This record gives sequence, C-alpha cells and structure tokens, in this order.
Amino acid sequence: MQQPDIIDKVALAFSAGLMLLGIVGLGIVEILAGKPYGAAPLTNEAGEVVATPAVDPTLRTGLVIFGLLVLTLWGLYRMAATEPADDHTGRDVTAD
Amino acid sequence: MAYSETNPLAADFGFDIGGPLAAYWIAFLRVVTGWWFFHAGVTKLIESGLNFTYGPMYLKGMTGTALGPIPVWMGNNLAPVIEAGVPLGETLIGIGLMVGAMVRLAALAGGFFMTLFWVGNAGFGHGLVNSDLMGLLLFGTMIVLGAGRYYGLDALLEKTRLVEAYPKLRYLLG
Repeated sequence: MQQPDIIDKVALAFSAGLMLLGIVGLGIVEILAGKPYGAAPLTNEAGEVVATPAVDPTLRTGLVIFGLLVLTLWGLYRMAATEPADDHTGRDVTAD
Repeated sequence: MAYSETNPLAADFGFDIGGPLAAYWIAFLRVVTGWWFFHAGVTKLIESGLNFTYGPMYLKGMTGTALGPIPVWMGNNLAPVIEAGVPLGETLIGIGLMVGAMVRLAALAGGFFMTLFWVGNAGFGHGLVNSDLMGLLLFGTMIVLGAGRYYGLDALLEKTRLVEAYPKLRYLLG
C-alpha cells in the first residue's frame, strides 16, 4: 500500500471511530447505567421485562453499520483510484 | 542464495508476523470460515433446494432495525432471488474461501450476509459483540489480509494473463 494520504487517514479514522463508539464507547455507557449491561432487555422467569438497555441497540448497530459502510466506500474509492502493484503474490530476491 | 520473500515457509521458523505461522493461520482461518458458510449453504440446498422460503420470511421480520426498511423491502420484493440466492450464495462463498479463489469478492458477500444476520438475529444479551459480529469481522479479515494468497488458488489466478491484463481484478482476488 502506498503512503496513506489525508483522505485515507480521515476515512479509516472515521470508520474505526464510528464502530468503536457503537461497540465500546456506548458499551461502557451501558455498563455504567446498570442492568441489563448487554444490549437486549432483561426478562425474569415469567418472561416479563425487568430492565431495558440504556442505549437503543438500533443506534449502536447503526453506528457500526455506518462505520462499515464508510470503510467499504473508502475501499471502493481506493480500488478506483489506485493501480495495483505488478506482483502481489511473491517474487524472488537474491540475498546478499 | 535465492529465497521467496513472500513464502515464509521457505525461511527460518519464527513466530513473527512474516513467519510461517502467520501464513498457516490465515489459510486455516480462511478454510474454517469457508466450511462454516459452505455447510450452512449446502444443507439448505439439500433440504430446500433453491426454494429457501425462510429467507424472505426472516427479512420481513426485521422491522425496527438500524437497516431501516431495507430488509423488509428485500423480503417483500426480492423473495425469489433470496430463496435461491441465500443457499447458493452461502455455498459459493464457502467454496470460494475453502479453495482460496476470488476470496475478497466472496468475503465481501459473506460480510453482507453477516451484517444482515448480526442485525436480524439481534442476539445482544451479552452486548453487541457476539458470534455474528465475530463472523463479520472474520470476513473483513479475509479481505484485509488477501487470504486467498496463502495456500489458495488466488495466488495462481493472480498470475494469469487475464489478471495481468486487468490488474484491478486483484482487488477481487487475494
């Protein structure tokens, strides 16, 4: 890969930031908010909901999906903008 | 003395990232991931052929997710494509990964499947990180590492005249 330019850096950082916010950042919020700790409602033996997530899992999954989308779009941009190197599969070199 | 700088097995043994274990493990992960999808697809083919009616039904049930109306729309309007495409797609993705051919394209399709499964199954009782997300990340890993180049057919396909004539095809291989 060539040296990353500013577009690469911004896209990769933005994508990772979105995904980490959805998974880790809001996961910490969920833990601090108390039960259910996870991202699904907690039910008792009768099936009644006794605790709901503090952060809507739709928001969290949405952030991750948006991050994946940014990463995919960046990949497509890189595919279009970059000519692949001549040989990725191996080349022989002579050691000194 | 000549050696192949991209064939770590030809070098001394080591645990470093360029060592033989890395190539071995990437290939192993690829085959196991491939088998996972191949098994899922081929058993659907055996049971339902190209008429996997649960597929559209599953998508229609995905209301109120982060994907908005897309899955429900797919379930309502693309039912025949999904009924045939899910078993066939899973099987082909699995074969592609196992033999290491067109791995990036196969893994991209696998990532699409896993995104739908992750959101649709919504098994978030222990948080967002579950086996579906791990499967999704595995497909991402296949793409990033170009896993088909390690003991896979992509290493050979990338040397064909067609790929040399159209080098951007390497973005779908590897």
